[in-house]
Amino acid sequence: MQKRLFGILASIAVIVAACGGATTTSPPQASTAPGSSTTPVESAAPSAADLAADQTLHIGLDGEPPTLDPNKAQDSTSIAVLHALHRGLLYLDAKGQVVPALATALPTVSADSKTLTFTLKDGLKYSNGDPIVAGDFVYSIQRTLDPRLAAPYAYVLCEIQGADLLLGAALGCGSKTAPTADADIAAALAKLGVAAPDDKTVVITLARPATYFTSVLALWIAVPVQKKWITSANATEAANYVSSGPFIMTDWKHNSSIVLKPNPNWSGDVKPTLTEIDMAITQEPAQQQAAFENGEIAMVATPSEDIQRVKADPVLGPQVQEIPTTAITYYDYNNGVDPKTLKPFAKCASPKACPTTNKDFRIALTQAIDKTAFINATFAGVGAPANSFVMPGIAGYQKDLDPYPFDLASAKTHMATALAALGVPDAASLGKLKFGFNTGGGHEPRVAFLAEAWRQAFGLQTEQIGSEFSVFLTQRTAGLYDIARDGWGADYPHAQNQLGLFVCGGGNNDIQYCNPDFDKLMAQAAGEPDQTKQTDLYEQAQTILFNDASMLPLRFGLTTYEIAPYLGGITISINDSRLPGDAQYETMFIKKQ
Amino acid sequence: MIAYIGRRLLWIIPVLFTVSVITFFLMHSVPGGPWDREKHLPQGTQDRLNAQYGLDQPIYVQYARWAGAFIQGDLGPSYRFQDRTVNDIVADGIWTTVQLGVMAFLLAVAVGIPLGIFAALGHNKAPDYIATSISIIGIATPVFVLGILMTVFFAVQLGWFPTGGWKGPQYWVLPTIALAGFPIAIIARYTRASMLEVTRKDYIRTAQSKGLRDQAVVSRHMIRNALIPVVTILGPTLAFLVTGSFIIERIFGIPGVGQYYITAIGTRDYSLLMAMTMLYAFAVAFLNVVVDVLYAYIDPRIRYS
Repeated sequence: MQKRLFGILASIAVIVAACGGATTTSPPQASTAPGSSTTPVESAAPSAADLAADQTLHIGLDGEPPTLDPNKAQDSTSIAVLHALHRGLLYLDAKGQVVPALATALPTVSADSKTLTFTLKDGLKYSNGDPIVAGDFVYSIQRTLDPRLAAPYAYVLCEIQGADLLLGAALGCGSKTAPTADADIAAALAKLGVAAPDDKTVVITLARPATYFTSVLALWIAVPVQKKWITSANATEAANYVSSGPFIMTDWKHNSSIVLKPNPNWSGDVKPTLTEIDMAITQEPAQQQAAFENGEIAMVATPSEDIQRVKADPVLGPQVQEIPTTAITYYDYNNGVDPKTLKPFAKCASPKACPTTNKDFRIALTQAIDKTAFINATFAGVGAPANSFVMPGIAGYQKDLDPYPFDLASAKTHMATALAALGVPDAASLGKLKFGFNTGGGHEPRVAFLAEAWRQAFGLQTEQIGSEFSVFLTQRTAGLYDIARDGWGADYPHAQNQLGLFVCGGGNNDIQYCNPDFDKLMAQAAGEPDQTKQTDLYEQAQTILFNDASMLPLRFGLTTYEIAPYLGGITISINDSRLPGDAQYETMFIKKQ
Repeated sequence: MIAYIGRRLLWIIPVLFTVSVITFFLMHSVPGGPWDREKHLPQGTQDRLNAQYGLDQPIYVQYARWAGAFIQGDLGPSYRFQDRTVNDIVADGIWTTVQLGVMAFLLAVAVGIPLGIFAALGHNKAPDYIATSISIIGIATPVFVLGILMTVFFAVQLGWFPTGGWKGPQYWVLPTIALAGFPIAIIARYTRASMLEVTRKDYIRTAQSKGLRDQAVVSRHMIRNALIPVVTILGPTLAFLVTGSFIIERIFGIPGVGQYYITAIGTRDYSLLMAMTMLYAFAVAFLNVVVDVLYAYIDPRIRYS
């Protein structure tokens, strides 16, 4: 009972935090399988004797999906459902490798590495019985890139020839201005490098060689979309929904539940064993935890406040699985380059006003932090210290890239150098540095840990500014903080998706970083077809980024789940969105108990 | 009387107007917008979305557009749930929220008033202490604590009820009780105080000296008079229960609209926030009119003209 009560109190804390109204959107929470010993991959088909009579899977869904329009989706809740409903030409397998899905094989690549040709499998059909034709892939890509749709993930298709004409500089692609008139948009769409010479062939032409592009085509935005369907009224409601993947949506009671059933027209090799997936929509992690303990749902991401109790529990403990996520916790240093003018901020004209523009100062801050102690103190010891920005399991991950390890003596030396350059006698004379974070996300202890470490090491004063989520994001983008909380979850397992953040003027370059050498290596790497050479280029770029002490990488994510013992066939992959194996529900089954 | 009611109902219009103006301008003066994400949307995408939703217009133009649409019953598009309109979202969840609120209200009245009477009749004796203790606990326990305690004991440990959802009567029990906890306590305390005050009135002494049986004194003279002040708080209580079930809806995963009242603020879902505010304002204003009218029936001294 004592343990339960402890759990209750913890749950209350969660709710209090949750009521802050923060909406931490969506680093799609992928999880890695490779090299993880705690993650059994059971993909062998079960024999009928082992199966329970009722093959209904009950799980929770964290909130109402904002949209189930594949071209428009951007958050992990929507993606968790879309993965079951749709498949594209390619998909990611359990190892994070790109494999063919609706295409017969990986694309035929032209000699200049710029043209990818796909052939569709025979007899592909949508859930409504219509054939899946090559033109639907073309339409889907065109629609995503159409500025009138304003699709949030359009920029990942930037490498397609002609995409820069549609998206333009303002949408983070090329240097042109995006067209606004319907006729201009239509003309630009016609010139786009996607074509369907016949119903079974899709040809994609890239502006420059981009070897990572097959990873992009495995994303939820690049699935076939039937124009007749998506342009019809209430297309994304259950009654009208047309899917190309292993499951169909038979019911969507908004804000209450989503029901999926096997797609009779699914032609994939693995047919679903589950006869129904019943997703209960609930916003409250504590409620999901209670539902799991009550046997109502088969899996749950353990709320962080419950982790200690659950692990110690004799019944729940053995059901715990810890799965690495391709996500990183880091803190921004303001490198001081205005992303709009690419010059130092006006307010940083006097370096004293922006001490984080000084490299020695950033090195000092970095060396004053013991990452392991940070994780133990503020993440209950869950997670691994991050000494690389590219995450484990992705090519370009550098396990021991740590030019400025925890070393207080060295930190103090660098601080002395920095203070001399800044022309102040001691760190306290710099005044209070602005240290921004968003409230309601559990970041307070982490911010306090870092601020206190810096105060103890250098006597550095910080003003810890906690703001509501949206306010915080606005201020952080505008470069108004000296130090700020940040995080990133991989969209697709490729170094480009992670290091690409820090390209000069990039939309997510919250550290206001700008280094031409880094940008040059990034461009080279994107065009390098040889895998080994490419990875080497990304590693060189990452080394520059780290040698500049441009930000403070702290922790690679690890998520704690509880999985009911009766659930089998979970294919854990880097592509999972919210729950283990949710990218491939078709392999899951309920064991006989 | 009819004229009075009509006049009071008309007064709701300027109230709603004032509430809408204040909310609209406050809401837009907060930094941030509906397109804020941890992973930024490109500026061009944000500009385009702003243009599509009219957010690039001057604020007074936006207000005029919103008000024009509102009068015609169009609550606008949701910024977060882009494939749906606010009308759809409200229509989907409003009756669930109202049902939960009304059930909790009836429970609160059914338990709170007898509890208060029970306490007053046993003034400074055991019944009073018991009832007062219950109501103090009810007031001091936040609704989310009560909700989670009930989930843990009655759902997880005893397995009597599901932990969440809204699929049938067994799903209604825990949230209704959890939501009614606070108003039970408030109503009980009001009833008790009001009863005690009435007990000292001359007409009660008269009734007792006439030789009426205690039961008749209590039911005919005391309770009827004591309930007048209690009715005052019932209106706002019902409004609060119907619109203020945000936390309970969240804890029990109930598909109502109450939770949008808070989440819409965090996501800057302007049109949804406006819809919820107007709903709340209307509920409070309207139920206050209802309460004032009820006075006239309960208390013969009050007559409107």
